[in-house]
Amino acid sequence: MKLIKAIVRPNKVDDVRDALAKLNIEGMTVSEVRGHGHQKGHTTIYRGKEYNVSLLPKMEIETVVSDHEADDVVRAIMGAARTGEIGDGRVFVMPVADSFKIRTGESEPA
Amino acid sequence: MREDAFGWLRRIRRTLPAVVYGVLLTWIVCACAVTAVHAQQPDPAGIATGDKTNAVDAGGNAFVVTEPTDKADPDFAAKKKAFDEYQAQAAKEPLAIKLADSVGHVRIATNFGWTLNTGYLVLFMQAGFALLTCGLVRKKNAAHLMMLNFAAYVFAFLAYWVCGYAFQFGAVAVNAAPAGLGGTPTLNHFLLGSGQWGFLGGRGFFLTGPAYDAGSNVLTLFEVVFMETAGYIIVGSICERINFWGFLLCEIFVGAFLYPIFGCWVWGGGWMSQLGATMNLGHGYVDFAGSSVVHAVGGFCAMALAVVLGPRLGKYGPDGKPRAFPAHNIVFVVTGTFILLFGWMGFNPGSTLAATDLRIGVVAINTNLAAVAGAATSIVLWYFMFGKPDISMGCNGMLAGLVAITAPCAFVGPNAAVLIGIIAGGIVCFGVLFNERVLKVDDPCGAVSVHGYCGWFGAVAVGIFADGTYGSGWNGVGPATYLGKAGQGVTGLIHGDTSQFLLQLGGATLCAVYAFTFTFVVFKLVNAIVPLRVSPEAELEGLDVPEFGMLAYPESGDEVSAAV
Repeated sequence: MKLIKAIVRPNKVDDVRDALAKLNIEGMTVSEVRGHGHQKGHTTIYRGKEYNVSLLPKMEIETVVSDHEADDVVRAIMGAARTGEIGDGRVFVMPVADSFKIRTGESEPA
Repeated sequence: MREDAFGWLRRIRRTLPAVVYGVLLTWIVCACAVTAVHAQQPDPAGIATGDKTNAVDAGGNAFVVTEPTDKADPDFAAKKKAFDEYQAQAAKEPLAIKLADSVGHVRIATNFGWTLNTGYLVLFMQAGFALLTCGLVRKKNAAHLMMLNFAAYVFAFLAYWVCGYAFQFGAVAVNAAPAGLGGTPTLNHFLLGSGQWGFLGGRGFFLTGPAYDAGSNVLTLFEVVFMETAGYIIVGSICERINFWGFLLCEIFVGAFLYPIFGCWVWGGGWMSQLGATMNLGHGYVDFAGSSVVHAVGGFCAMALAVVLGPRLGKYGPDGKPRAFPAHNIVFVVTGTFILLFGWMGFNPGSTLAATDLRIGVVAINTNLAAVAGAATSIVLWYFMFGKPDISMGCNGMLAGLVAITAPCAFVGPNAAVLIGIIAGGIVCFGVLFNERVLKVDDPCGAVSVHGYCGWFGAVAVGIFADGTYGSGWNGVGPATYLGKAGQGVTGLIHGDTSQFLLQLGGATLCAVYAFTFTFVVFKLVNAIVPLRVSPEAELEGLDVPEFGMLAYPESGDEVSAAV
């Protein structure tokens, strides 16, 4: 199994979820995060004082898929989340040792 | 978290200043109780208030003609004739006399309703200010701000109950009886001073005895919410670093001493209001609804406390440049500002203490004109200075206009009201930048600029823009003619009264110096005994949990997992 962690623009979450649904991937965890890669923040102003906002809001989507699905899922996420501008985000793929369903106790095959 | 063995000793040491205050107040109250002599009877049930002596026509002419007593008066003969005619008519029409008693009663009742209801509007401003200030600070201090605003109302009110009202209005019947409310004749003794040089009132401690009276209670309700306004102004500048117990001392100080003393001098019939009669200075010091009495007192008290406390951690970088601490909820800031605007419809028009004073419509319109002019100015000015309008400065601009019009609102026309608002909008913008960059006084909500600087300006504006169309006979000056014209009211520099302008300038400046100095001296001393500031660790974490054990916005996590 692979854990696929995608950090995307907040307005791209719905597109990514649609793309995953087309591949029958239903399980995922989504969180609000802040960060940046090469994308520079911007300077803004409050009551006459300038300050930098460099930790930008993004959304992180995590989903665990079987090894043979991983490549398709990665390609689907990247296609859905891409705009071509700096700040599109990244996808990480990590190996998963084990996975258990809490309701039934069964473990997923590796 | 287990306490060590000396927690109780630390808590006693921290409450020491409060104990000292308590002893001082008790001594004052006992001293007054011993000397109290009740010549007039208070009327707690309201069954003896309001009769034909309160029946007055639109022009202010009384129904009842009183017998003239001064035989040296050049008009004595005419007045005696008028009195004799009235007596003869009264004998012929006894039913009309009885009806006049009802009319006078209804007039007083109308004004009771007016004063109480406008007072309730001002009370609602507490919610507005709580939202405004909470929105302007960082999320980690949101509960702290709400608690400061809440506790301010609670403890300042109690201080005003004990002695604040008595100090401020205990002698109001001597020189400034509120005729529209029946005159509150039992509040007739100065503790310090007498006659036209009164410094501190001395009737009505704990709102008992002479103050346990229908008319007095209406006055108390209205005046206590004004005191509360000065009380919550200080929250805007001391927040995010003051500890709760130090804060309570500040509120008790404002409610029991700082506010009522100056309030007595101007509104309680004290010496500043009588300077027209005693020293020929205009109509005496004039402040219609409190630009100086309420706002400048609060604003300069706030400034002194901000100086004693010092700036928030991290506010000024190592190079001395100020850092931005952006507001966490602009929705609260704007909503709070609208609630304050709405409440101001009670604050200014209500200060007639009478619905039967038909200047109330002019007052309401002037108030709104200055408010919108102030907001427009700060929005446009900030856009030109920084490239974008700042929402929080727009709100501060509206409040600045409101503060500045509060003293002159009854005495000026609409164009002057707009001009006053524009000037106030400019003052607040430059004031905020000046305090932050030059004086380096950290004022999270701009309270010093909005209330201190614009409050001073508002009091001075009376002396510049008052046009003489209202206020004839104010503070007992020139009831028949003033500046050679019959019916001429309070007048400013532009319309020909220089002495009023000079008195307003001096009085407003005295207010600022008084509020700053008194507060600074007292709280520099308190701070030396028991620090007013929270620990640096608590300040960095945010005061919500260290001071009150709860978050304003509990995150879902260990704090609430048990409840879910």
